[in-house]
Order: sequence, then structure tokens, then C-alpha cells
Amino acid sequence: MKKKKHSEVRYSKYGYIFSIPFVVAYLIFQLYPIIYTVVIGFTNMQGVITPEVHILDNPFANFQTILTSPSFRNALKNTFMIWGVNFAPQILLALLLTAWFTDRRWNIKGQGLYKVLIYMPNIITAATIAILFKSLFDYPTSPAQDILTSLGLISKPINFPISKSFCRGIVAFIQFWMWYGYTMLILISGVLGIDPEIFDAAEVDGASKTQVFFHITLPNIRTIMLFTLVTSLIGGLNMFDIPKLFMLGGPDNATTTASVFIYNQAFSGSYMYNRAAAASMIMFIIIMILSSILFFLMRERDDGYGTTSGKKRKSYAKKGGAA
Amino acid sequence: MRKMRRVAAVALSAAMVASMVTGCGSSSDTSTDTSSDDSATEATTAASDDDASSDDASSDDTSSSESTGEGETINVWAFTDEVPNMIKKFKETHPEFKYEIKETIIATTDGAYQPALDQALAAGGEDAPDIYAAEAAFVLKYTQGDMSSYACPYDDLGIDTQAEIDEAKIAQYTVDIGTNPESGKVVGLGYQATGGAFIYRRSIAKDAFGTDDPAEIAEIIGSGSGNWDKFYEAAETLKGKGYGIVSGDGDMWHAIENSSDSGWVVDGKLNIDPKREAFLDESKKLKDNGYHNDTQDWSDAWFADMKGEGEKEIFGFFGPAWLINYTLAPNCGGEAVGEGTYGDWAVCAPPIGFFWGGTWVLANKDSEKKEAVGQIIDWITLNCTEDGLQYMWANGTFNGEGGTKDCVASATVMDMSDGTLEFLGGQNMFDVFGEANSYANGKNLTQYDETINTYWRDQVRQYSAGEKDRDTAIADFKQQVADNLAVTVE
Repeated sequence: MKKKKHSEVRYSKYGYIFSIPFVVAYLIFQLYPIIYTVVIGFTNMQGVITPEVHILDNPFANFQTILTSPSFRNALKNTFMIWGVNFAPQILLALLLTAWFTDRRWNIKGQGLYKVLIYMPNIITAATIAILFKSLFDYPTSPAQDILTSLGLISKPINFPISKSFCRGIVAFIQFWMWYGYTMLILISGVLGIDPEIFDAAEVDGASKTQVFFHITLPNIRTIMLFTLVTSLIGGLNMFDIPKLFMLGGPDNATTTASVFIYNQAFSGSYMYNRAAAASMIMFIIIMILSSILFFLMRERDDGYGTTSGKKRKSYAKKGGAA
Repeated sequence: MRKMRRVAAVALSAAMVASMVTGCGSSSDTSTDTSSDDSATEATTAASDDDASSDDASSDDTSSSESTGEGETINVWAFTDEVPNMIKKFKETHPEFKYEIKETIIATTDGAYQPALDQALAAGGEDAPDIYAAEAAFVLKYTQGDMSSYACPYDDLGIDTQAEIDEAKIAQYTVDIGTNPESGKVVGLGYQATGGAFIYRRSIAKDAFGTDDPAEIAEIIGSGSGNWDKFYEAAETLKGKGYGIVSGDGDMWHAIENSSDSGWVVDGKLNIDPKREAFLDESKKLKDNGYHNDTQDWSDAWFADMKGEGEKEIFGFFGPAWLINYTLAPNCGGEAVGEGTYGDWAVCAPPIGFFWGGTWVLANKDSEKKEAVGQIIDWITLNCTEDGLQYMWANGTFNGEGGTKDCVASATVMDMSDGTLEFLGGQNMFDVFGEANSYANGKNLTQYDETINTYWRDQVRQYSAGEKDRDTAIADFKQQVADNLAVTVE
């Protein structure tokens, strides 16, 4: 015991040294802006130049304004709607593909190629995709109109860009299409971390594919699922680039997500940094609460399945906005 | 593995502790923090002021010895390469002008230009813009609104502003927009005049009305009448022949927007001018009667109508001279008479006077090179001789003989110039546009126009497409403005 502690002290010196660049960068580029944001949420900072920045008499005035603003509520509704519509099919398709790709009896040929192809949309810049879809479904002339007309499905061009649900649907679809490959890769790596002996045992016992999937694979990748859910939730609630570039948050605010709303507060003309900061903090709290609920619901229970977790941690490498 | 994790944990917790410490420090000491910040910026501005004054003196010296600005840099901010190219031309034609030009070009797409420019102006220092360009949609913010404190009066740049304006006969609306109401001084001027006209297809005019003569077409569409009655009569006639009168409601919007009597914001309150509100009905009327192809401006379908390749052929577009040069001509499907719609166009006065777009050139009051900046700005906006920019601009000699001819702010220059275009079937467009410039009204702009117009047009589209009723559209519009801008809405 004592010996072990000794060696740790020696290593920890390098640990400190190696972590300095990260810590410094983190302090300057992340922590400071975050704290700054928190602070200006309580101030009167508005306009390009605020003569005298001070904490408001009612420090929560900005928060109250945001919470009672119909536009913010609408933005929240849009965010959850778009995220939900994109995430449900995304995780289902990713699970299905995971089941196929990791099936030992099928052993699909050319897996690498498929994985690359499926991951591809994630590599293309969001801006490109947003503009692409915008021109695909434009009105009155666009490729989509041409195809539908030549197939005889429509006689007159359909006004896609005016339809709120259609535009929300497109944004959700883009998110789904961009991120299912990423989710699939994470899930596959989770499955690969499961002890092969469990699968062997199942095979010996004569379990069917469906049984193996539902009784072995799924319970064993629960932590990975939690990771996917949480990162996707965070990414989804912060969704900005696609809705902003696709229709500028329109039509009629249908694709104004919470982040687009925050951007509009700060940069659409009045520079209401204080309100934008307050809205950001509200989003932060919402995300925190929802993540905690997810963690609580998916916590490891002593129900016989949840045994391993150490191996799976390896695949926790990439953190980021899976939407 | 495990050890590593512990090390990481230690490092992370150290980071957290450190962050908490710094966090507490900065949050509890905000007041002192900001005050020290303020004093710091004050100090720097004071210092730069000193610099400026000393520099002024020194640059005076250098200009007399005719080696202006060797090795010094002038920062230029613009949203297209137009102004930077002019400054390059200025350097070419003025070899004694030795300043280096550093250009920063950020497109206005997605509202990217303004925040960047604002930050750069507010930050000040070495890299702050010396000269910056502002577009009609947001120029008011820089000449009269929130950012006007950064704009330097032309007088302080060594320009005898009023005398030169009178001599060049600069279009009044340009001067109105560029004048700071508090000081009454001109801080920005344009080089282009963007008074609008109706630009129509000659072949369609002949087919529908039996004539393509601008004077007669002007009569038919009710030019100068101040209302749209005759215009709709013409639309009905055109419809009978299978034509649309305009491409989309956006074409009419630009005419309506700048012909209204008041702007979007009056005394800090949202104001919907009756003419602008009536746009809801105009848009609906156009759509319900099928007078247009229901395109949106700047979309592919809009450009297709310029070639005459839309669902039905379109009679005309509302716009200033730049629309002809930069939008209609490149999209007409040809480069010589007979190709596409090239040469099949003509201009006449619009039913209501308006202007659309334009670029104003401003100088930073903190600039340390005011003398040099003034030389450039004077050459671009006020020089009305044959060596000035505007003469080249009007006669299309800016990029060599035979270039694009454009309307310019100076009526003096327009009188000296020839605006005959083959694209317009040999018509001299200055005849129409010169008059149009004097109709334009520069007093209905606000600094929020870009944002508010986007919201308004969105709601109008919703209404005219039948997605919501008129009152809801107006209510939703007000809500949007109230929630996103610091504008009071009643």
C-alpha cells in the first residue's frame, strides 16, 4: 500500500506538467468566458458600448424577461421538437446497424467501407449541407420541384420554404443524417468492448440473434447508450449551425432553436448581451437538469447485468456535440 | 491505467480548485475589475488621442515634403471588394501616396459584417479600421445610431465638406443619411446613387401595350402617381397576355420600403408606416391574382426570371442602376444584343420614388492617419472632376474603357457623363436615374432595418401564402421585434 503511494507521487509530477497546457487553455478560453457570461447575465450590458456596466437593481430582471418571452418558449419548443424527431430514428438506426456490423455469424464484408460511407455526412461542413438543402427544396424552382413534377406527383410547385413543419422536418433530418454514423461508431465500439465469452456462452446455449441482441448486447452497452444520450442531448439543445444557415431560423420562427434565439438576442441589432447571457444560463440549467435525470434513470443497478464498465471507458474518448 | 486516471483526477481537481479561486476573485470583484478596465481603456484612448494629434502634425509635415505615409498602413473594412478596389485605383493614380492598404472584407451574408466591424471599432488600437464601408441597410447605425460615436466628420479629415457637396451636387438623400443629427456634420457619403426605376422588357411591352417607348410605358404603369392603381391595371393587361408584371413581392417591397414616410423605429418605438403595412395587401393581391411568379429576391427562381425562363415571362424589376449592372446583365443569359434578354430592356420612372442600397464610406475618428484617409474619401465621394472616381464610375472607365456604367452621387458628374447602354437598347439611363435620385427619401431608415425587414418579409410571406391571417401576422411581427430588439412595442 505504502509502496504504491510512493510511485504515484513520482508520476504525479509529470501529470501536473503535462496537464499545464490544457489547464491554462481551459482557464483562458473556457472558464473565463463562462464566468464572464454568468456575470453579464445580471448586468445592464446592452448595446455596442455600455457606458457603465453594473449589476441590475433586480439582478434577475434579464432572466425574468427571457422566461416570460414567448419567443424563448417557442425556441425551446422548437429545440426539443427538432431534437426528438432527429434522435429517435437516429438511435434506432444506429442500433440496427450496430447489430449488423457486430454480428459474428454474419461477418459482413467490406465493413470499413460502409462505416466510412455512413460516417461521411458528419465530415461535410454543416454550412455546406444547410445551403445544399436550402437550394434543393427552394420555391418555385428547385431540384425537388423538378423531380416531383416530372414524376407527375405535383402539377404546381409546392411552397416548401413556407411550411413550418416541413422546415423543422428538414432540419431534424439533416441532424439525423449527419449524426447517425457517429452514434453508430460509438455503439459499435461499445459492443466490441463486451467480453466475447458472453457471446460464446450464448451461442452454446443456442440463443437466437434477437435474444443475443436484447439480452446481452443492449444491457451491456448501457453506459455507452447513456453517453450517447447525454452528448446528443447537449449537442441537440445547443443546435445552431443548421437551423441558422438553412432558413435563418424561419419560416415564422419555426426553426429558431434556443441557440439561434440567443444569437439573435446578442447580434441581430440591439446587442442585448445581458439577455443573451441570461438565456445561455437558463439553457445551461435546463441541460444540467435533463442530464441528471438521464444519469439517474440509467444508473447502474444491481440487477445482474451491470458488471463491467472499466473496459468500456476506453471508448469515452471523444467528447463533443453528437446531436 | 489506474494510476494515470488518478493523476488525471488530481490534475482535474487542481484545475477546478484553481478555477474556483479565480472564479471567486473575478466575480466578487467585478466592480473593481470593470472600473480598472475602464480606466485602462481610457488610458489607451487618451494615449491614442495624443498619438493622433502628434501624428497629425507630423503627417502635415510629411505631406509638404511629398512622401506620404511610407511604410504606414491604412486599414480598410468593407463587405465587398468594391471600396478596396477603388482605393487600389487611388494608389495607382496617386503615386506619391505611399501608405500600404490592408483590406478586410466580410460579406454581409448572415449578418456577419456588422458584429465584426463593431468589435473592431470598439477594440481600437493598431488594427482598428481607418476607413469602413456601410451599406444602406445598416448605414444609419454608423452615421446616426449606436455606432455613430466612432464616425469622423469629413470636416476633420481636411475636407471642405459643404462647399464640395454643393459643387458636386451630391444627391440629397445621400447627404441626409450621412449626416449626424447631433452635430449636424457629414460623416459619411456614398459614391453611387441608387435612386430606383422600373426596368422592363421591351419585347413584352410591345406585345402587351404595343409600344416600348419609356415615356409611354411610364404613362401606362402610372409613373410618379404615388400609388399603384395604374400599375395593377397594367398587371391585368399583362396577365391577359400570359405575362407576370414582377417576379416576386420582394421587387415591390424595395419600392415600398423606401417610399414610406416614416421608418421602422420612431423615438425608440416600433412604428409600422401605413405604406409598409399596406405591403401585406399588395403582396396578397399579387399572389392571389397571379401577377408574379412568387419568387423570393436573390433566389434561383428570381434570377431565372431575368432570362425569361421562369414559369411565365416577367415584365420588369424595380431597381437602381446597380441592379442592371450587377444583377440583370450577368443573369440575362447573354453578353451581346440578341443573346438571352440582353438589349431587350429599358428603364422608366417608377410609380413611387425610392432608392435601394448603396454604400457609404466612413472614417474612424480614432484614426491616426486622418489626412491620408481624407484624401482617399474625398477622391471617392466628392471629387467631381474627370480624374475623380465618380467620373470613371459613371462612364465605365474604372477598369479600362468600355466597363460598367453606373449612376453616381454627384449630379455634376452625371451631367458630364454618358449613360447609354446597349443592354438597354441604347437608352441613356442617366435621363431616368438622374431624376429618380432626387425623388429618393433618406429619412425613413433606422439602424435596425436589416433585422426588422427580415421579420416583416417573413410574416408577409406567411400571410400572403395563406398560412395565417392579417392580424396574427402583424401581432407575430410585433412580438418578434419586441423579443429580439431593444425597441419598445405597443
